[in-house]
Amino acid sequence: MNIAGNERLLDKLAAEYVLGTLKGGARRRYERWLRTDPSVRRATAEWQDRLHPMAEFSTAVEPPAQVWRSIASSLGLQAGTRTASTDRWAFWRGLRDDLSFWRGLGMASTAMATVLIAVLATRAPQPVAPVNSFVAMLTDDKAQPVAVVTGDQKNHRLTVKLVMPQTVAADKSLELWAVPKSGSPRSLGLLSANGSITLPLPADATPQTVGLLAVSLEPKGGSLNPNSPSGPIIFKGAWIVI
Amino acid sequence: MSTLDPQQLKLWLAAVARKDAQAFRFLYDTTSPKLFGFALRILTKRELAEEVLQESFVSIWNNAGSYQAGLAAPMTWMTTIVRNKAFDLLRRVDHTAEIDADTFDKDVMNAMESADPTPIESLQLSADSKALARCMTRLEALHRQAIALAFYHDLSHSEVAEQLSLPIGTVKTWIRRGLERLRLCLQKMEDA
Repeated sequence: MNIAGNERLLDKLAAEYVLGTLKGGARRRYERWLRTDPSVRRATAEWQDRLHPMAEFSTAVEPPAQVWRSIASSLGLQAGTRTASTDRWAFWRGLRDDLSFWRGLGMASTAMATVLIAVLATRAPQPVAPVNSFVAMLTDDKAQPVAVVTGDQKNHRLTVKLVMPQTVAADKSLELWAVPKSGSPRSLGLLSANGSITLPLPADATPQTVGLLAVSLEPKGGSLNPNSPSGPIIFKGAWIVI
Repeated sequence: MSTLDPQQLKLWLAAVARKDAQAFRFLYDTTSPKLFGFALRILTKRELAEEVLQESFVSIWNNAGSYQAGLAAPMTWMTTIVRNKAFDLLRRVDHTAEIDADTFDKDVMNAMESADPTPIESLQLSADSKALARCMTRLEALHRQAIALAFYHDLSHSEVAEQLSLPIGTVKTWIRRGLERLRLCLQKMEDA
């Protein structure tokens, strides 16, 4: 049988192959076409994208920790979150590369941050310290501002103000990270889903050493490792001196 | 805010292809609960599901370089691996998974049958999965069940017919029509 050019038949076979009802000789024949014919591969991929999201209908179940340890040991990775690979901070470097984008936007975001600080200052009972202040505007993946972080070096304080309140599941927390220009990231603390929160500002978390602040979505209480987020980065922004 | 954001998963998969163990850990932490739940749904036995999850992530580490972002969504690529490993294991151990006629978890079934959009939202499904859930609610209950039985249990037409106590010809027609309706419905959602 030739299925080249017979799109209706190809579509029907691809659907039944992906669903699993294509069995026996017909399945083996289909798999041969799959190896040689790009149009068969494409039709198959399309049906996989349509039907495989059914997998997500199952309730999520946390696997036991032993599973990760077995994977890590069988691949020769260290069981923790660190790896001996020279590429171990590639992910963070990728994030830092975004700084070039941020520098381009530097003027605009500084101006915007200044306006926001003015707004915060008029609301706060005490004015923001004028010297050695730092600011970061954290944005989401659509470049929407989500939070403003201000650092007060004199009083060793960080203030995080959520400008766009977030919905966070009851079993999750938002965690703030300092991403240094070299070395591993460091947790600065947990955030509330809305309003303001004040955290201690470590002496060495200035923009001279830390180029970027990022917020990750973590299990309740934050990442178990204070030097590595375990969940996805959802907001980030350059940390600058004003 | 979905933790299964496809863009984020694609970035991690690309990093895993470069053997970035950190990104691999992020990918595991984010996707393993859904993938384990899926394996458990197919295999019902925890120890078998654990074995499949482990084999699957070893395969993800080794084959991330062959993942083509333009061809398949990241979750699709990973669930294909889990599903194949699960069915391989079932054949290897000659174990017949228990099949309950109510193939989906009750939450999902209720959510899909409810006219209220909130239950589907509360399942924290990806956008693709949400669209499929909505299209599946529009199928007749038995058509939906026939498709789900085949998908989750790797059944042939005759095995689905046996499960539902229906003639094989009827089941074949239902599945064919059901798949065609899903295709049209998903297409419409995409265009909308």
